[in-house]
Amino acid sequence: MKKKSILALAAAVAVAALAMTGCSDPGTGSTGGSVSWPAQNTKLSGVTLTIWAAQNSNKTPASVISGFEKLTGAAVKVVTIPDPYEQGVQTKVATGDKPDLAFWQPTASELTSLNAKTNLQSLDGAPWAKNYTGDLSTATGILDKTRYAALVTTPAVEGVYYNKDLFTKAGITELPKNWDDLITDAKTLKAAGITPFYEMGGDKWATQWWVQVQLADAAKDGLWTKVNQNKEKFTDQTIQGAIDNYKKLIDDGYFNSDIKTATFVDQGNAMLNDQAAMVLQVNSYFNELQSLASTAELNKKVGFFPISPSGNVGTFIPDQSNALVAFKTGDAKREAAARQFLSYWLGDGYASFVKAQSTVSLLKGVKTPSTVPDALSSVAASLSDSVGSMQALAVANPDLYLNLADMIQGTKTPEQVAQTTQDQFAQLAKAQGVPGF
Amino acid sequence: MSALSVVTSTARGPSWRRSRRGTQSHPLWFLVPALAILVVFFFVPTLFNFVYAFTDWSSFKSQINFAGADNFVQLLSNGSLLADLRITLVYAVLVALFQNLFGLILALVLERDTRVNRFARAAFFVPVVMSALAVGYIFQALLKPQGLLNGALSAISGQHVTTAWLGDTTWTIVVVAVIHAWKWMGLSMLIYLAGLKTISEDVIEAARIDGAGWWGTFRSIRWPLLAPAITFNVATALLGSMNGFDVVQATTQGGPGGTTELLNIFVFRTFGQGLFAQATTMSLMLFLMVAVLAFPVIRILRKREEVL
Repeated sequence: MKKKSILALAAAVAVAALAMTGCSDPGTGSTGGSVSWPAQNTKLSGVTLTIWAAQNSNKTPASVISGFEKLTGAAVKVVTIPDPYEQGVQTKVATGDKPDLAFWQPTASELTSLNAKTNLQSLDGAPWAKNYTGDLSTATGILDKTRYAALVTTPAVEGVYYNKDLFTKAGITELPKNWDDLITDAKTLKAAGITPFYEMGGDKWATQWWVQVQLADAAKDGLWTKVNQNKEKFTDQTIQGAIDNYKKLIDDGYFNSDIKTATFVDQGNAMLNDQAAMVLQVNSYFNELQSLASTAELNKKVGFFPISPSGNVGTFIPDQSNALVAFKTGDAKREAAARQFLSYWLGDGYASFVKAQSTVSLLKGVKTPSTVPDALSSVAASLSDSVGSMQALAVANPDLYLNLADMIQGTKTPEQVAQTTQDQFAQLAKAQGVPGF
Repeated sequence: MSALSVVTSTARGPSWRRSRRGTQSHPLWFLVPALAILVVFFFVPTLFNFVYAFTDWSSFKSQINFAGADNFVQLLSNGSLLADLRITLVYAVLVALFQNLFGLILALVLERDTRVNRFARAAFFVPVVMSALAVGYIFQALLKPQGLLNGALSAISGQHVTTAWLGDTTWTIVVVAVIHAWKWMGLSMLIYLAGLKTISEDVIEAARIDGAGWWGTFRSIRWPLLAPAITFNVATALLGSMNGFDVVQATTQGGPGGTTELLNIFVFRTFGQGLFAQATTMSLMLFLMVAVLAFPVIRILRKREEVL
């Protein structure tokens, strides 16, 4: 009898204890503290920094890490979070697990989803910010007027990668100057027996670029601001029209016949094996091409041009591999060391970084290495007059790509794509407490 | 002491004696370790499942506020939840069907205790202990358009076969259910084997003397006597696969076109968006659906056993 009551008591205590600890979100960290920027070579022996990276970004910081370790005596280790990276990081952070630094998409929507104000260090007053070329220092990485992300490589641009040989074969000598030109060229290619476009319906995520580049003009006129205020919906004519156009191009046979199953890897091979003339993609597609062919081959075969309804305006979409955020860990020494690491990366370490990565320099006074392929230079050049993508400008990032992939499979109509996306957008905006939802 | 207890026990009847002896050999506190684990890892999370479903918990802010039935209203007005619940149910029924069919066939084929059969039983049990994700990835590689299966089919038929086994909006759910069933059929086989072993030789022999062949014996004697094994196998397969996630995530991730999007995959996707409360609400709905389904299914299967 007595034992029974002890047992009951123990169980009750356990439940109560868990109930009490469980009711507050563990994502609440330290707040405040003035931001100081230690000199790049401050000694840090005994300090270990952890960087979370995705499968496609875990090798990026290698040269910076070795330089920083030599200079300061700190140890820096990279932990790879499996794909889907963003979900993995968010889940870990929600349970209270935080690194010192992490690769992260420097857009307002993705910074919000990490609860930047609570979890991330403010990078205001960063010594490198004034060194960015163009208007990069204000273009991205900022939420509610506070800088949270450090851009280290060029943000991706949605645009058309084309096969120069196939263009020549079809007699196209001039690159399209607007959307109508693009479709005219596609007709020419199709008439010549060449598949104009190659899409990866199997891997899904690139489907959304087709809708987004068609919205470039509208985005310039404040489309996403209106969407953010719930004054314009995905189901309204502008976005719905772009979805309908995409569907029509697919139905009219401008795409590869295996569009339903084709993958990202197939898309890379298709360009190099002359299976299709054009691919609408972002920078990571070119990285895939680089893993398949030499720079010389790529310079000869593959070109890039941005496209929008009325001209050659690119749509920029910074992704996870372009930037880093620093977490509030509650350990002042490590937090300062994390800022120092970023100062070094975008300071003394930057020249060797761009060289090691063969990437375009974002900083004044640091030259882009000659090993950067032509297409990537064109991408970087298009950045200065490009407009923001949905990810860059909308308050939330709904699964538009997934709904478009469903449309390709035939399980959603274009109207259902817009409706489902709008529903999810509204749900996310409401959860964030955005006025108007 | 013992003599006394025997005397008193006979006086008070056998049932009292049984329960008394039970208490002595297994003190109640033996339950504590198992119960503690059950409470911490099952009861408390389930309880929180109910609590968080009524809040606005998300990754976007630190406070968690009471939100009433908001999440339920939003989810029920959205077609995705009901569509995914239907897919989950279809998947569970298919898995239960295939897993039991495969398990029963294996049990019947490997029934005799020969050396080869013992080895084969162990071999068919290996997938059960394998990681479900590993199984999923292996099958995904086998079944892709340029995969091994199409390669083999091309070699046999002499034509170039490029069927996208995991790319059909109608049939892929069947393929995925077969993979799930393949992984777990070893367990069903084991339970059917145990069921077959408990059938008395006398009954079988009597049937044989009466002139019943293999099929007659199976239909009239062994199948009815297997009822308890069927109850367990069907119930675990059906209710277990309602919670399916890993095999489907590794093979199709819910595609093509969302036709294999089990509720748990939707939950995972919603959680990944930072909508923790909504994800919790969905898993609560799944919990309720499994509970609602479990009672009638087990009841019906139990009723079959009553003929024994």
